Amino acid sequence: MKGRYQDENLKWIPILIIAIYLFPFLIKNATFSYKYYLYILNMAGIYIILTVGLDLLSGFTGLMSLGHAAFLAIGAYTSAILVDQVGLPFELSLIITPLIVGIFGFLIGFPALRIKGMYLGLTTMGFGFIVKRLIIALREWTGGSAGLQVSKASFFGISIKNDWDNYFLIYTFVILAVIIARRIVQSKLGRAFMAIRDSEQAAQASGIHLAKYKMIAFFISGMFAGFAGVLFAHTSHFISTDHFDISLSIFFIVMVLVGGIGSIYGAVLGTLFIVLMENMFIPLFKDGLSQYMHIEAGEFQVFIFGLIMLLFIIFQPQGLYGMWLKMRIYWKLFPFNPRKRFT
Amino acid sequence: MSELLTGLLQESISGIALGCIYALIALGFTLIYKATEVVNFAQGEIMMVGAYVNFFFVTQFSGMAGGLNGWVFLAALFCSIIFAVFFGIILDYIINRPLKDEPVFSIIMATISLAIILRSLTAMIAGPISLVPISPFGDSTIQAGGIVISVLDLAIIISAIILMGLFFFFFNNTRWGIAMKATSEDSEAAQLMGIPVKQVYRMVWVFAAIVGIISGVLLAPRMALLDTTMSYLGLKAFPAAILGGFGSIPGAVVGGVILGIIETVSMGTLSFHFAWIKEINDIIVWIVLIAVLMIRPDGLFGIAKVKRV
Repeated sequence: MKGRYQDENLKWIPILIIAIYLFPFLIKNATFSYKYYLYILNMAGIYIILTVGLDLLSGFTGLMSLGHAAFLAIGAYTSAILVDQVGLPFELSLIITPLIVGIFGFLIGFPALRIKGMYLGLTTMGFGFIVKRLIIALREWTGGSAGLQVSKASFFGISIKNDWDNYFLIYTFVILAVIIARRIVQSKLGRAFMAIRDSEQAAQASGIHLAKYKMIAFFISGMFAGFAGVLFAHTSHFISTDHFDISLSIFFIVMVLVGGIGSIYGAVLGTLFIVLMENMFIPLFKDGLSQYMHIEAGEFQVFIFGLIMLLFIIFQPQGLYGMWLKMRIYWKLFPFNPRKRFT
Repeated sequence: MSELLTGLLQESISGIALGCIYALIALGFTLIYKATEVVNFAQGEIMMVGAYVNFFFVTQFSGMAGGLNGWVFLAALFCSIIFAVFFGIILDYIINRPLKDEPVFSIIMATISLAIILRSLTAMIAGPISLVPISPFGDSTIQAGGIVISVLDLAIIISAIILMGLFFFFFNNTRWGIAMKATSEDSEAAQLMGIPVKQVYRMVWVFAAIVGIISGVLLAPRMALLDTTMSYLGLKAFPAAILGGFGSIPGAVVGGVILGIIETVSMGTLSFHFAWIKEINDIIVWIVLIAVLMIRPDGLFGIAKVKRV
């Protein structure tokens, strides 16, 4: 039988899903400070949902977005207002908020019809600044620049008290998001996206309605970001406009780029890599290095980020996922690999 | 009413000075974009590096000369420009050479990562203490018909005009300038005509670094504190370049000045009189950007490109 994924080995996917659910039990036994690691993994999960959506937009449709933190912000604030001030249940907010953010994505999609490449990046960047300012201006609902406290969520009667419960909630949605994104990529929609990325003229000539599909790409990407926003608000319990800076938007692009732009697994890998780097390896590395020289706390991380990003762009444009594919092909052909193909 | 008018006029002059700095940064983008089609998101960071380097030289030389005087500032400016030349060459090697034929997306991300590296490196080297920039003109002002103009603003405007004039002359009347124009038109044809394209690219990056560093030197005394957030001003120069039409040198200047005036006036008089402008005065440049891109994506001086398949 020929299916959608006939050229892929799907046997390991159930094992991976089980491993994801068993992972917290593993680290609970392994380390004393497992709660901290769970929190980091939760944040990584939220970012994965967003970067998968961003990859659909930037990697598959070729529309650059430097304002995805704004979508996250809209999602987080909308959910906080809907749940705490309007009084909707959390489950309903999980459905309504992504739709609202998707509509915002739709709106920012309008200029995308005329603007390309770098100009679109700048427009979305401007959108990010404008959203941040508007959140401060609407201080009656959002608390202005002082920030907003968000209540804890409860999901169908189960109240999400701590990071332990939250892990299972978030990673269920992460798995769903990855599956949905992969279905989209393999469908007619995804093929239309890729056709637009490769050549707008050719896509148009083959009967793809550019305006419609670009709008859909922004809408879907906005929905993913809105979903991440809801989870973000109810995970961090406190949101303020400082969280959704332009640098966060750039971080998201870095995650997609380091993972490998144009592949869903790449976005997942890149996000995990960057979040774990930021929170675990760089602090360790910095402690080791600070015996020899004086280092500022925040700046060193940012510096390493910039360096990793630049090196990836110059030497490994396909990202981590591309590296993995190359390695796999190398081992498959092992004794007979022509050397020059893998440089 | 006349009070409002003098207020507007006063702010316009300050706005022109700010706009000249935007124009200089935008000129940096434009130079690189014209020749190599690389969009340099790190121009604001180059400006910030310029401000820091100049500050370093000023403090060093004033230590040597035993006090601040005009020569100290001139010598510091001279050394900063020499630094800019080397800086530009290094940037050409890091960013331009390896990424010449990559897609736009990668190049933008590479310049963004360069911006991140420069900003964090500067913060690491300079340390956590914010420095107070030294102005060569102090707080001296000129009174002219009820309007108070600070000498610093005047100096910024004059030096910006001189720089623009030099560039205009260079691009239209010298061999190298014409070679640059030819390269930006069609690099392969230029290479066939015997123009050393690689050297032209290097020169363009050096010029962009010089413009960036001079804009940093000029901007620093306007700031209350010298810190790395001043590089965000570089982002605001993008709306300026787009308003004027990306890739057009007069466009960069006009767009910069217009945006400078809009921003200063909306922060001053208009916010004072209208409450709602107060809410949006720090994002007004981005609103202008989106409006320009929606209405006339080629800007004021840009020429619409027709893409052939």
